[in-house]
Amino acid sequence: MAGTALLLFFAACILAILVSALAPTSRFVMRWFGSLCSMSMIIAAAARLATGQDFHVDLWTLNGFGSLSLHLDALSAIFLCATGLVYLSCCWFAAGILPGRRYPVLHFALMLTVTLILVAGDALTFLLSWECMSILCFLLVNYHQDADSTAGYVMLAMSEAGFLAIVLAFLILAAAASGFSFPALRSAAGTLPVSAAWGVFLLGFFGFGVKAGLVPVNYWLPRSYTASPRAFTPVFAGITLNLGIYGILRLSGDLLPATGIGMGILALIVGSITALVGILYATTENDLKTMLAHSSIENAGIIVAGFGAFLVFRSSGNAVPAAIALTASLYHLVNHSVYKALLFQGAGYIEDATGARDMDRLGGLIRFLPVLSVVFLIGCLAISAVPPFNGFVSEWLTLQTFLRSAVLPSPLVKIVFALCGAILALTAALAVTCFVKTYAMTFLGIRRGNGKPNVENRPSRFSLGLLAAACLLLGILPTYVIPTLNRAVEPLAGASATAALVPPFFTTTDSNQQLPPAFLHDFHNLGAQTGSGVIPGRGLVILLRGSEQNPVVFAMSTAYSIAALALLLLIVWFAVTRLTRQRSVARTEIWAGGIPRLLPEMTYTATGFSNPVRVVFQAIFRPNIVEDTRETVAVHFRTAIRRRRDETHLVERYFFNPIGGAVNWFAKLLAGMHHGRLNAYVGYVVSFLIVILFLYRLA
Amino acid sequence: MSFWPWHGLRRGIQSTRYPDAPDTAAGISPGRPLPTEFASAQQAAEAASICPVGAITAVGNRVEVDLRTCVWCQRCRFGANPLRWDLGFEWSRSVSDSRLPGAFARSLHLMIVDAGDCGACLHEVKQLNNPLYNMHRLGFFLTATPRSADVLVVVGPVSENMRGPLLKTYDAMPDPKRVLAAGTCAISGGVFGRTFMSAGGVGSVLPVDLEIPGDPPPPLAILHGLLVVTGRMHAAEVL
Amino acid sequence: MTILRPPVSMFAEALERKFGSAVSRSAEDLYLIEQPEILPSICEFVFWELECPFAGLIVEESEQWELYYVFLLPNCGWANFLLRLPLTTRNVPSISSRVHAADWYEREAEDLFGLYFEEHPRLGDFILHDQVWQEGIAPMRKGFDAAAMHFEKRPQRDWRPTLVVRDPGAFAMPVGPVYEGGAGESIHFLLETVGEDVIRAVPRLFYNYRGVEKIAEGKSVDGVLLLSERFSAKSAFAHSLGYCLAVEEICGVGVPSRAAHLRVLLAELERLRHHAGVIDAICQSTGLSVSEAHAAIIEEQLLRASCEFTGHRYLFGLNTPGGLRRDFENGAVKVLLAAVDAASTQLARLEERLRFSSSFLDRLEDVGIVSPESSRDLNLVGPVGRASGLRRDLRRSLPYCGYGQYEFDVPSEIEGDGYARLRVLFAEARQSARLIHQASERLESGPVCAGLETTAGTAMGAVEAPIGAALHWVRLDHQGRIERYRILSPSFRNWLGLHVAVEDFAFQDFPIILATFGLSAAECDR
Repeated sequence: MAGTALLLFFAACILAILVSALAPTSRFVMRWFGSLCSMSMIIAAAARLATGQDFHVDLWTLNGFGSLSLHLDALSAIFLCATGLVYLSCCWFAAGILPGRRYPVLHFALMLTVTLILVAGDALTFLLSWECMSILCFLLVNYHQDADSTAGYVMLAMSEAGFLAIVLAFLILAAAASGFSFPALRSAAGTLPVSAAWGVFLLGFFGFGVKAGLVPVNYWLPRSYTASPRAFTPVFAGITLNLGIYGILRLSGDLLPATGIGMGILALIVGSITALVGILYATTENDLKTMLAHSSIENAGIIVAGFGAFLVFRSSGNAVPAAIALTASLYHLVNHSVYKALLFQGAGYIEDATGARDMDRLGGLIRFLPVLSVVFLIGCLAISAVPPFNGFVSEWLTLQTFLRSAVLPSPLVKIVFALCGAILALTAALAVTCFVKTYAMTFLGIRRGNGKPNVENRPSRFSLGLLAAACLLLGILPTYVIPTLNRAVEPLAGASATAALVPPFFTTTDSNQQLPPAFLHDFHNLGAQTGSGVIPGRGLVILLRGSEQNPVVFAMSTAYSIAALALLLLIVWFAVTRLTRQRSVARTEIWAGGIPRLLPEMTYTATGFSNPVRVVFQAIFRPNIVEDTRETVAVHFRTAIRRRRDETHLVERYFFNPIGGAVNWFAKLLAGMHHGRLNAYVGYVVSFLIVILFLYRLA
Repeated sequence: MSFWPWHGLRRGIQSTRYPDAPDTAAGISPGRPLPTEFASAQQAAEAASICPVGAITAVGNRVEVDLRTCVWCQRCRFGANPLRWDLGFEWSRSVSDSRLPGAFARSLHLMIVDAGDCGACLHEVKQLNNPLYNMHRLGFFLTATPRSADVLVVVGPVSENMRGPLLKTYDAMPDPKRVLAAGTCAISGGVFGRTFMSAGGVGSVLPVDLEIPGDPPPPLAILHGLLVVTGRMHAAEVL
Repeated sequence: MTILRPPVSMFAEALERKFGSAVSRSAEDLYLIEQPEILPSICEFVFWELECPFAGLIVEESEQWELYYVFLLPNCGWANFLLRLPLTTRNVPSISSRVHAADWYEREAEDLFGLYFEEHPRLGDFILHDQVWQEGIAPMRKGFDAAAMHFEKRPQRDWRPTLVVRDPGAFAMPVGPVYEGGAGESIHFLLETVGEDVIRAVPRLFYNYRGVEKIAEGKSVDGVLLLSERFSAKSAFAHSLGYCLAVEEICGVGVPSRAAHLRVLLAELERLRHHAGVIDAICQSTGLSVSEAHAAIIEEQLLRASCEFTGHRYLFGLNTPGGLRRDFENGAVKVLLAAVDAASTQLARLEERLRFSSSFLDRLEDVGIVSPESSRDLNLVGPVGRASGLRRDLRRSLPYCGYGQYEFDVPSEIEGDGYARLRVLFAEARQSARLIHQASERLESGPVCAGLETTAGTAMGAVEAPIGAALHWVRLDHQGRIERYRILSPSFRNWLGLHVAVEDFAFQDFPIILATFGLSAAECDR
């Protein structure tokens, strides 16, 4: 089943590329071929997850390299499923605002290479598709010739540097193995000495980290996301970012064995710092797309931090916390793809309608774009981890995982966990600030720009609705997502996340051996079996059981809470409408203290809202404030005060500027060699010859 | 570090017991002139002529006082033919049906608007919040926004520049609402009268429900006015 | 510590040396400016080189424009620089670029008289707000009938404020005119900011403008006396005193000594009560409720003592040209002294407790700083000016009502922050209590009013009102009616300096700084 679906996918994709290359731009191709390809991706993944059978096929065999193969296992299936879902929505979205003729070709080509990366069965296929994917991304980012093209070049340069690191990592592995296929590499990794394993890990981590957006190699990310065309950014954020994580997961989680704790700690620390830096810059950024890009960095940090926790738990032998950590990490990855794609689509529509991305120039859009405002609100709530949406479940699980560090032996590790947990909690709070600001400044309040928004390009309800519904469903039904993710988690962690997290409340008391009767009885009294006959599955409560003294370590149920909340709201609404039937509502203008008119320049701006954050974290931002005052007659009369703020990004300040400075210095030093004197050049040749002869003599 | 709760508690309760018990402390009210009988019509005419704003009219042997225009210069009190003087403070006069529904009797929110006031009437209304009068114990509160205000207390003769904001404030208040004009300037324009810059009283701008004469009306007179608006006391008879 | 200043003759000589025949001295305190072009240089010289504070600009319209630029000569009176212009000209050279304290006076003259001050960058929309009045009304001109309401007002519907800060994230938070829990005066502020600090604060006053100077014209002396009391009630006695002093000078009447001492007693009583009110407002703005309650009790008890003594809580109806309207018994004076002593003791106790409230001091210290240079530049008066190092008090420099014989200090501080202003208020309250005692001791029996025959003439009455130096300029015509009444109020001057204190401090400090200035919109707007 999975194989057939994959075959269908490849066929449809190649056909789509040909059709869109030869025929003129057609929305039909984009929509329907895109849907076909996405659905076949989803079906392939679902088939693998349902049956539990890996799919493997060998393609061609190359002399001296081994065979190129495709292998669909559970981890790939999960990534494939998420990718398919996001692609389904983005194809319809992109069809609505196609940037040009070449776009569908590149779009489908990217889809093809992404799938190849995910189902690659050996390192060669993986690396080849990775490189194609990088180049395609570059072409897509630089699609508009007149946009900021340096963004694309920076991205390409850093992608290539990352790729080099990845290739080195795989080469180190392959040097110890007999071939390039993943099983061969896996068995070879067990025999690597510690230093080589560290080398593979570091190269892979930071090499894939370029695409994933980890500090300090994410310098390219905000600029590229901002410069990319509107149709491509949701794909960029929702899909290609996942590839970096996939690479890290595959290399460090799957291929490399569980070794010392150090790798996990490094991943944890890098992830936490990435999250904090990302959200800090997101909170103080006023451009919608750049802000969402920084927020993607934050989410990638959370995913990697969860992954780090998984490595630590696995290498210290705690399988159940490891399973929970990896589940949280994968769950957050799926969630991020969904809500980030949604938000970027929203930002694309806003830019299309108003021509502006700067939050200081937007405002009051809720009157003009009602559907979009609802959907964008769902996206903002989801990314701020507000129940009942999906962000809440994954962030909650991640933070709960950090609390599980109690089972670890070393106090130093526990301290690191505590600190990283605190950093992640801070990022969660800042994320709420950031998205409250975004939503309020963009949609609420008084319209700040000029003219009415252009609402001709109506948003595609299907694309937005699909992702919004996914946000809601992934949040309400975590007890169905966890068993699905468990297919990938269990082989890697060695314990079942489903067994740990989702107690089977829906099955009858008698035949249920796993839970003690007293426990079951208490929870049935609380209502944990509500819906047992109607809704399939194990139950609707996520619960981690502990020891005798502490029976419940943590528990949560978004489904029940949202049902209870809805019921309460209904009761309240009913009561209020009953009680206020005789009252009439009069609408008058806004009360503003009696001034003649409330003008937009008298309302709070995005800069003003995030100013406290900027001031508190000034040590990180280190802005240069330039204040210009222009006086007309004397100091007493001022006509204009101009204030300009220059900021250098933290990563740029501490990582790239020093490296760039060192490289420049070294280059200047070497440049001293090029002075044009022929005699000196002859001298160089002679001395080099002497050195060679000397070495030859020695050898 | 000063321990403020202790200092506050030591001071004890300073509030007046009005309206439960009459308040006769010295200096709480400047009082008001009462209609007076004189020995002869000529004396009455002399007594009436002393008023610089013409608030006293002689009718035969009697003089009548129009509290709506009296500016409390007290010349008739200490002059050659002094009028009778009352040291009370319950002078509020209803113009329309000023009582609010019963729900507001013990919970009333005031909004004060300074529409060209000299500062005295405004200050007297603010004094109602100090511990000696403490209108909170009666359930009266000041609010900052007209959206939650029940009573609009206007002081000042309504200068032209404030006419717009005053109307906006009134429009922003939800029903039921009442307008109190506190002070002679708010009732009739006072010494400023009706000029290019002064509307001559709140009555020409908004519908007034209760008038509280005084220049300025002492805090207890304003309190009496609020009690009339909530229906807890009766307005003074028309003089 | 007295500072020696040059006497009047030296002043005149310095002027003669610098400007020669361009300035001629026509009377004791009147200097005629022959050429309008040198007006800015003269004013700059007098203000900066000779260090004479600029008291105000008085504009009169008779057969020609008469513009009096009043400078105070410390300790020896004042100097009026008169510029005469034909009625047909409307352009006057502006001195605001050099004497910054003249800024608002010129704007006021432009709005009310229609004079155009060249090179003044911000004329218009000052007293007559643009959203209510159209341009060119000039209500203070002789031809304008104050009682007439028939002219059309075409308001400017799309009024937009001019914002100074040009930053994409900047916004201007509007405060007022109806604000502060509804218990504040009607003032409008636009606080321009980028989030935390106030970068620029622009006050928009004159919501309380009732045209006092206009409706005074043509009234009798008695009628304007009522106006002078009632345009700003918290300094009612001081302003009516200033008016009476001016009229008494025109008519050449000397006030009996009992009346002079009683005037001092009542003026200081008003100052004491006013300062208690400002202290109450400061405590309220910082949110220290118990201290606010204590200060409010002190103020209310002083109001009650005033009412018991004089019959009116705010001391209306006491002053009359020639003295006081009625006399007081010694018993009543004793009762008043007891109340004043009680109030002083309680104020001293309050000050002591506030000195040890560090959370309270944190809101006041180093907040709202007015440097001595700014204070001098903008000519701030009263406790605000004295807290920034300007030791100017009209009771010392131009003693009236016999202040020269009294012993009292003029407290001043250097820091110019909120705490300095608070300390000055407490110190002045102590001095007022001291003066009240001295005045009561000096009371002798005698008449309290001298008879008055009105004649034509002009004079200026200068008093130190609780907020600062107030000058009343009165011109009587031959029928004894007021031809021109000009009030140079202290709040008008100090409001100009508020923005210096508020800028570059956080939003939360704004109401506190406003409270420490203790200003009155009614007194400024008239």
